[in-house]
Order: sequence, then C-alpha cells, then structure tokens
Amino acid sequence: MTIALDGVGYRYAGATSPALLDIDLELRDGEVVGLAGASEAGKSTLCLVVSGLAPRTVGGQIRGRITLDGEDVDAWPMHRLSQRIAIGFQNPSTQLSQVTDSVFEEVAFGPMNLALPREEVAARTWAALETLRIDALAERDPRRLSGGQQQLVAIAGLLAMRPAHLVLDEPTAQLDPAGTHLVAEAITRLARDGVSILVAEQKVDLLAAICSRVFVLDGGRVVLDGWADEVLADRRLAEFGVMELSTVQLSRAAAASGVAGDRLERALHA
Amino acid sequence: MGRPGPSAYHRLNPLTKATVATVTAIAAVALGGVVGPIILAAAAVLSPALVAGVLGRLARLSLLLALPIALSAFIVNLFFFPGAEQVLLRIGPITATGEGLRFAIEILVRILAISGAVTLFYLTTRAGDLTVDLERRGVSSRVAFVANASVQTVPTMVERASLITDAQRARGLDTEGSMWRRIRGVVPIVGPVILGSIAEVEERTMALEARGFTRPGRRTLLWTPADSARQAAVRWGLVVGLLALIVARVTGVFG
Amino acid sequence: MESRWSRIIAAGLALLVTAAIGVLLAGGIQQTGEQDPVTFAYHEVADVLALILAVSMIVAIITYLVVEWVQTRRLDSLSHQFSTRTFALIPIAIALNIILGQTVVAAIKLPIYLDSIGTILVGVLAGPLAGALTGFLGNVLWAYVIPPPFQYAPAAAFAVVAATIGLLAGIFARASLLRPRPDQPINRLVMAGIGTAVVIAGLAYLASLGYTTAFGGPPTIAPAPNNEVFDNGLFIVLGWLAVALVIGTVLGLFVILFVRRDLTAAYVVICGAATGIVAALVSAPIAAGVFGGVTGGGTDFLVAAFRSAGLSVGQATLGQGLISDPIDKITTFFVVYLIVSAMARRTKARFPQGERLLEEGDAPTAEGDGWRGATA
Repeated sequence: MTIALDGVGYRYAGATSPALLDIDLELRDGEVVGLAGASEAGKSTLCLVVSGLAPRTVGGQIRGRITLDGEDVDAWPMHRLSQRIAIGFQNPSTQLSQVTDSVFEEVAFGPMNLALPREEVAARTWAALETLRIDALAERDPRRLSGGQQQLVAIAGLLAMRPAHLVLDEPTAQLDPAGTHLVAEAITRLARDGVSILVAEQKVDLLAAICSRVFVLDGGRVVLDGWADEVLADRRLAEFGVMELSTVQLSRAAAASGVAGDRLERALHA
Repeated sequence: MGRPGPSAYHRLNPLTKATVATVTAIAAVALGGVVGPIILAAAAVLSPALVAGVLGRLARLSLLLALPIALSAFIVNLFFFPGAEQVLLRIGPITATGEGLRFAIEILVRILAISGAVTLFYLTTRAGDLTVDLERRGVSSRVAFVANASVQTVPTMVERASLITDAQRARGLDTEGSMWRRIRGVVPIVGPVILGSIAEVEERTMALEARGFTRPGRRTLLWTPADSARQAAVRWGLVVGLLALIVARVTGVFG
Repeated sequence: MESRWSRIIAAGLALLVTAAIGVLLAGGIQQTGEQDPVTFAYHEVADVLALILAVSMIVAIITYLVVEWVQTRRLDSLSHQFSTRTFALIPIAIALNIILGQTVVAAIKLPIYLDSIGTILVGVLAGPLAGALTGFLGNVLWAYVIPPPFQYAPAAAFAVVAATIGLLAGIFARASLLRPRPDQPINRLVMAGIGTAVVIAGLAYLASLGYTTAFGGPPTIAPAPNNEVFDNGLFIVLGWLAVALVIGTVLGLFVILFVRRDLTAAYVVICGAATGIVAALVSAPIAAGVFGGVTGGGTDFLVAAFRSAGLSVGQATLGQGLISDPIDKITTFFVVYLIVSAMARRTKARFPQGERLLEEGDAPTAEGDGWRGATA
C-alpha cells in the first residue's frame, strides 16, 4: 500500500503559523523510512498527520492531499484509517489501555475493538507476540513491566491491527539504555521482515541501521531527502539540529588528527 | 461453569452475585427493625460466605468497612436522640437514652448487613468479570471501558501521588510544623498529580483512537462468564421478592 | 441555532409541568412539620421537593433528547459529549473523586466531602450527561468494586446525588457561566465582591454555628484514631490539602476577583451555592432514610449538633446538608475553575465543551485558502 502526501500543510488549532508546510512524501510497501530533525521541527506532527490523528482527533486544519493507493482519505473516519496505518508513541505507559490485566488481553485490545471473530483475535494476538518475541510475557501484568517491555507490548498491540503501515514517533525517547536496545533490536527485526515503517528518531544511528530512505525536517518543511547513507552523511545535518552519525563523527575526528579517514571507514565497515 | 473459582459461590455468574448484594442491601433498609436484618444477613451474607470459604476475611473486611460509620451512628444516636424519655446514663451534659440505644442498634445492624453484602460481592467477584458480563448483555462497550479503567486508575494515581509525596518529603516537605507550612507544602504535590493526569488524557486519547476505539457498535469479547436459566430465575425471584417486600412495608402490612 | 433553543424551551417546559404535577399530587407546598431553627427549612417538604426535582430533571432530559431526535434523527448532543477524549478523562475524574473523598471522609473530620471534583470537572469539560455518568458510575464503583482502604459502601446510595451534581455542572458550563471574564470595570467587580462576601460569610457563619454547638471549639485536623492505614504520609498531606482548599477558596476567589479582575469568581460562588443546595435537597432524604443521617464522615458532627438541639433525623440531615454542601461545592467549583484555567488553551479547546471555557475573543482560526478542518 502506498501512502502519498501531496503539498500537505498542517496547523494546530489556534496557532497562527503552520506546523507543517509543503510536504511531499511517498511511503511504499516494505520500505522503512526515517524522519530526522531537531526537537520542534515537526517530526511528531508529521507522524500524526500521516496516521490521520491530525486533524481528526487532535483538531487543527490541514491542507493538500493525502491518498492511500491513490484514494483520497480525507473523509475516512479514524477507526477505518487505524486499520491501515497504526501509530505508536514515545510514552510506553500512556499507551496501555488500562483495562487489562495481562499482556495477552492488552495486545488483543485492538482486534477486539474491530469486532473480529474470537479465533481471529487470538490468532492475530499470538502472531504479534511471537513476531516481537514477547510470547513469554503473555500472562504478565503490563503495568509491572519495564519501559522497554511496555513499548514492545504497545507495538505488538499495533501489529495485531494488521496495519499496512506502521508509524513510530520516537519509540525509544523515554527508555533507558536497556529498553532502547530492546526496542531498537525489535524494530530492526521488523524492518528486515519487510514491515513498512515510518520512524521518527533523534537517534540517527538507529535510522542508519534500518532505514532505506531518510527525510530531514526543519521548521515544518522537508529540507533533505534521499537514500539513508547519503542523507545521514550530509555535512548540513548539523545546521538542521540533527546529530551526526557516530561513524561520521569518528571519521571527522580521525581526519583532524591525521589518521586516514578512509582507512578508518573501511575498518569500521569490515 | 464460569471461570474456575475456589468455590461454587465464586463460580456463580457475576450478575447473580451483584443482584444478591444489591437486593440484600436494599432489603436491609426496607425490613427495618433489628431481627429482620440479622436473619437476612445470616441467610444472604454469612451462609454464602461460609460456602465460599471467605467467612474470616468477610468478617474482618466488612467490620473494618463499617467501623467509621457504625461508630458515628452509634454515638450520635445513643446520645443525641431528641424527645427520648428513658434515661440510661448521664455523662455531664450528655445523656444516653433507651430509645436512642434501640435506634442506634437498628442502624448498626442495617449498616453491618449492607457492608457485609457489599464485601461478599467484592471478595467473590473480579471487577472485570462483571463488566464483561454486562457488556455481553448489551451495556455499551465504552461504559464498560470507563468502569474498568477507573478501577485501575485509583491505585495508579495513589502510587504516583505517594511517590511524589516521598520525593517532596526528601526535599524537605513539611508534614509536621505549622498549619501555614503544611498548607504550602501541599501544592507541589497536587499540581503534578492532577495536572499531570489531565495532560496524559491527550496521549491516551490518541493511543485509544489508534487502536480502533472509535468504531461504533459492539466489540468482540474473548471470554464471558457462564450463566444458566436457573440463575436467571433466581435473580428475577430476588428482585420480585424485594419489590413485594417494599410494597408490603409501604402499605403497612408489617407495621 | 433556533432548533437548539426550541429544544431547551421544550425541556424547560417539561421540567415545570412535571414539577407542577408533582406539587399538586403532593397536596401543595404547605409548611408542615417543624421549622429547622438554624436553616429555616421544612424537612418534610424538602423530601418531597427532592423527589419532584429528581423526576422533573429526568423528564426534562428525556424531552430534550426526544425533541432532538425528532428534529435531526440523530442524537448529536449525546455523541458530541461522549468523545474518546471524554472516555479517557472519566477514569481519572472518578479516581480523583474516590481518593479525595475517601481521605476527607475517613482520615480527617471536616464537615465537607470533596468527592465531586472529578464529577464537576467532567461536567464542565465534556457536558451535562458526561458529568452525570461520571458521578453515578463513580459512586457505584466506589461502593462495590474499589478495594479497601478506599471502599466506601454508602456511596452507592448517593449515586443519584452525584449524577445530579455532574448534570448541573455541565449545564452551568454549557451556559458559558464559567468562561473567564478578565479586566472588568471596577464597579462591577465591587458589586460582585460584596455579593460573594455576603454569601460566603453567611455560609461560614452557619458552619461555625453547627460546630460550636456540638463541641464548643474549632475543628482539629488529625487522622481518626482507628485508621492506621491513613497514617501514611500521603493521607496526612491530603488531609491538609482539604483544609487548604477551603481556606484557599475564600482567599483565592477574592484574588481572582480583584487581582485578575475576573468577574467569573462571582459566578463560581453562584454555581457552587446553587449546586450545593440542590445536592443537599436530594441527599438529605437518602441519608436520613437509609443511614439515620450518619455516613461516617465529619458531617456527622453537624448532624449530632442538630439532634442535640431537638431535631428529628430528617431535619438534622437537611440542616447539615444545607450547611456542608454549599461550602463543599463552592470549594469544588473553585478548584475546578483553577484546574481549567491552568490547562493550556489548545488542550482545553479539544474537549467537547472546551470552547465555552475560553475567553471571549479567542476565536478559532478561520478556514479558507485550502485549509480545512477534520471532515470525519
């Protein structure tokens, strides 16, 4: 399924200036696309717009066209759109439904809302748990899990909706290093399995590991886009408030102290 | 029958248990007097508790639950029953009266019966089971959602507030000291808890909508408690019996 | 727009007609029984009035909804109030009710309840029926399902009272009574200030009357003796919170009135007093009939005071209610007003009744030039 944004702009309710302007974006099947940018650049807003929560749930006004496989989705209600595009957020605990005692029920929450037959609900739930390798946690109380585990439960809950596309807004931002590692690994596996993902992240190393393409946002506009290794090695990243890749930082440091940069890079990629 | 529970009473349908609790509580009020509620409690509270094996916990919890009210009720009515003639005891300006004592005991027994009925329900039923059962019978899934979420939010909020209280105490929050100091110390706790919870509403709303919450109509239930025609008959019987009791009382049959 | 007014008028007529029928059936408003010496209320009349009120309100709501259905074939006022955001807010509101209410009832003994903050908050932000649901459901859960030490069995009996409170809060907010009105001319503020001071002074005097009658001294705040559970620091803090709220309310209202020059402070007092009186009327017969006037909280001292002055159970509960409830509700409305004022504009606006809580002149951004709002 292809999601296309054409000349899309968005402004929050009561805001004078738009949060997003002139966004042209295409997300294709099986692709993993990264969104980079400084703090208020518009990454989260773009995630909300792609998933449809903006303007439906969040209010505000939109401009331009958003299409799914060519079909305009302006009039689609949220529950219809949520079956095609699923979005995950930063805070693992506020994504819990608060009505379940076990991880299994928590992951099943979405399919249950869709009124699917019981066997279908159970099948999807187990599939999601297994994909994220948390089937061992099925009986645990979701409130008692670590942040990283809760985030995996949240993502499993989204996968159980069988969306065509997954949008993840800074999934590791509120996690400790152990949690970050857990979630980053899981997302990497999903990417390799061919799940379509749009992931916004400050941690560019993660983007480098999994994305084929990367967009950089600044002031609500796309300022850089292209293949991941090119964009993430671009000199201008620093101007846009994006941290450089550790490999790039290393090369630069090496060059500055006289070590041949290309030797270092070859050694790193060996 | 139903989710495996430790006893036959546990395994009854939750609506049945809720009906028993509610009918007992209302009947305790409608019966009036002292003997009525005692017999009622023995039949509808103590016996099932015995069968369910929760008698000890029931006694302890329901007494704890009833204690503040019972104590107040007893003292207020014993000493402050106006128009009473029969004096039992005089402590300074306050008099304990016979009529007061009788009324106090009546209220006490009633409160114990209600508290027992409600505690029995609480001990033998999981909250989630009742909401699922009601949902199956047609209650809106959103109302069921709100009920379940509320039950989980109370301990979560208390925990959060406790954490904030401890953190503030470590930073020198005064819980002793003068009244003004204590009042001032309260603000750094209330702010984060209330405003923080409200700020979370936005995130929770988005997460819910992302998982199909807005879809109108019923949702799938993975499991529902079992029910039987016999239990349904018992429920209706209890309600009809209660109505008959109320009518009888109101029209003065029992006086 | 006109159709909305016709619905409101229809509902109002239904209310009056039902009330009139009720009064006729009850044999007219006679001043029977004894007059309560402190609050000058006739309790038997008040009991009947409470029943008539409750039934009339239900009839009015049903009328409103029926007329809406006939006009539009949809129940938009219902679905608008009950958005996902409302459902995400209600559990927090119910938890607030229970935690604060239980602490005030069990841990400290002030003659107030503070168990409606959540109900009124939902009523104000989401709407009358959402507020009513919060109150009703919250009380039922509080009695049956919430585990000890927070469980409070009498709450279920007062579920109707809680529903009424939520309903009224929603109606007041819907009528834009709680919209901030800053920078008012000084003469208006002075009038409002005088009115507010009179109301608060009157209620405070009545409250102190009850206390000194019973115990000859001001109330002390310490955890009740048989509550080891509540010795935890959190509850001592919450107990002081309750005191702070009541004192803070009076001070705060005047600050809002004269420093922020916000006329709405006076409206807070009016809404609180009105809600309090209605709540007292509806809860008195329940407290008297079911519990003999005693519910385990600090309000029991007031009931004792009235009883010792020779009043019957019904009179005592009504008297206690008419003293405690207005103070409690004014305090609660004040706290809710503070909370709503502290919320960011864009957070508030997303709630169903959010627009009515914004200052005049905070107009929503105009559409056009390709910009469009949500259509789904």
